[in-house]
Amino acid sequence: MKDIVITKAIQKREFFIWLACFVVANIVNVASIVKFQTPWHEIFTQLGYVVVLSILLYGLVAVVRIAWHLFARVLSKK
Amino acid sequence: MNRKEFLSDFGRMGFAGVALSLFPWLESCTEKAQQEVSGERARIGIIGTGSRGLFHIQHLVQMPNVEVVALCDNYRPHLEDAAQYYPEAKQYDDYRRLLDDKSVQGVIITTPLYLHARMTIDALRAGKRVFCEKSMAYTLDEALEVYNCRKELGAVLFIGQQRLFDPKYIKAMQLIHEGLIGDVVGVRNYWYRNNNWRREVPSPELERHINWRLYSEYSRGLMTELACHQLQNGSWAMGMLPEQVMGSGHLVYWTKEDERDVYDTVSAIFTYPNGVNMTFESIISNKHFGMGEQILGTKGTIDLVTAMHYTDEAAPKGSGMDQLIAQIESGIMSNSVFAGTSWAAETATLAPGMPIMPNVKVVSGESSVGAEADGSKELLEAFIHAVITGKQPEKVLEESYYATQFALLADKAMHENAILRLDDKYKVPYEPLRMK
Repeated sequence: MKDIVITKAIQKREFFIWLACFVVANIVNVASIVKFQTPWHEIFTQLGYVVVLSILLYGLVAVVRIAWHLFARVLSKK
Repeated sequence: MNRKEFLSDFGRMGFAGVALSLFPWLESCTEKAQQEVSGERARIGIIGTGSRGLFHIQHLVQMPNVEVVALCDNYRPHLEDAAQYYPEAKQYDDYRRLLDDKSVQGVIITTPLYLHARMTIDALRAGKRVFCEKSMAYTLDEALEVYNCRKELGAVLFIGQQRLFDPKYIKAMQLIHEGLIGDVVGVRNYWYRNNNWRREVPSPELERHINWRLYSEYSRGLMTELACHQLQNGSWAMGMLPEQVMGSGHLVYWTKEDERDVYDTVSAIFTYPNGVNMTFESIISNKHFGMGEQILGTKGTIDLVTAMHYTDEAAPKGSGMDQLIAQIESGIMSNSVFAGTSWAAETATLAPGMPIMPNVKVVSGESSVGAEADGSKELLEAFIHAVITGKQPEKVLEESYYATQFALLADKAMHENAILRLDDKYKVPYEPLRMK
């Protein structure tokens, strides 16, 4: 069986992609605080939601990336 | 509920403080007042030993400070029923003979409505302390006559308005006056039954004697027998008396079995000086909704019968993220094919209420005689206390007086098909319940 090697560069890249998702999730939280006029301390108290949302976003981005990767592979074979 | 439980109920609701300032007639229920009469006994005579009289007797036998020394009824079987509880008591078939009996300190009058005023006045003039069943009198003039007679003699007079002593009503009124439901904007009372309201009659000549409630010669029907209890609710909650009343009454269904002439279907609207309405409705050919008494406020509703509080204020909506998710969900779930409804039926809110106090005893209102835990026993105990001390509790009579007057006025409005106001000559000093 072939070992899967996740290089430091890949780990760094994935971490930055998730970090971007986390920032987007925080922006969504701030937007909902503004829209529904709820207290600003929700920036901290709703961190659980934000983390879950960031993981969901990361998963969504992963799906798009896998799809793009497969599409590019098919194109390159032609 | 025994006295200890009753006192404990009031203790729980801060009875000694706020409730006493709102309901001064409860003074006799305090430990201090009870100690005042400990070891003493009230000698009582009962005039009218029918179903309601027997109901009171069943409470009296449990009270150690009561001695029933005389019984009176002109219907022998009723007298015999009562004598089973008090075989030593003297028996009379004329209430005037009982009133002549010097051993009797206080009398309990549980006779048909048309006899209340005459018997009460005779008893007061005979020097007795008097408890008379509601309603106080058969006419507006008679009620005033009774009120003035008691005032002139400075005697003790209680009327059988047991809600005055029911812990759940007292707690509810306390909360209403503290602002729990905001401004009172409506009062709804109703009492539905599905029965012919008749008692069994052993022989036809006793029909009117036993079923006196059904004949206007003796009774004012649903207004004096049922509404009278509920009409206090508005005045207690609003802290004022109604300004006018209109009503409609008809004999709709129970017309085949007898020659009754009191209405079996009534609706009345009482309007207060600030424009708020109190309604009373009774139908005795449908019982789906039973008995209900609700005080409607700008912030919520209190159901007095079940002692439940329902808030009108929206529940907290949750965090911004919660609301965002809910909005997305409702966007996904909503049917985008059809346009949104511009109208939807406003059915009752399904929000569960909160009990206003623990261990609430709910009374269905189905019994024509009385029910346990409806305040009757406590009312009777307060009367016994007053018989021993000779002290008339504050406001207790005025509350009963106006309940009777407005029940009678509504009945009059129905018969005259008119909007009526209580004539100034019937107005007696009345200080409405207010928080101090």
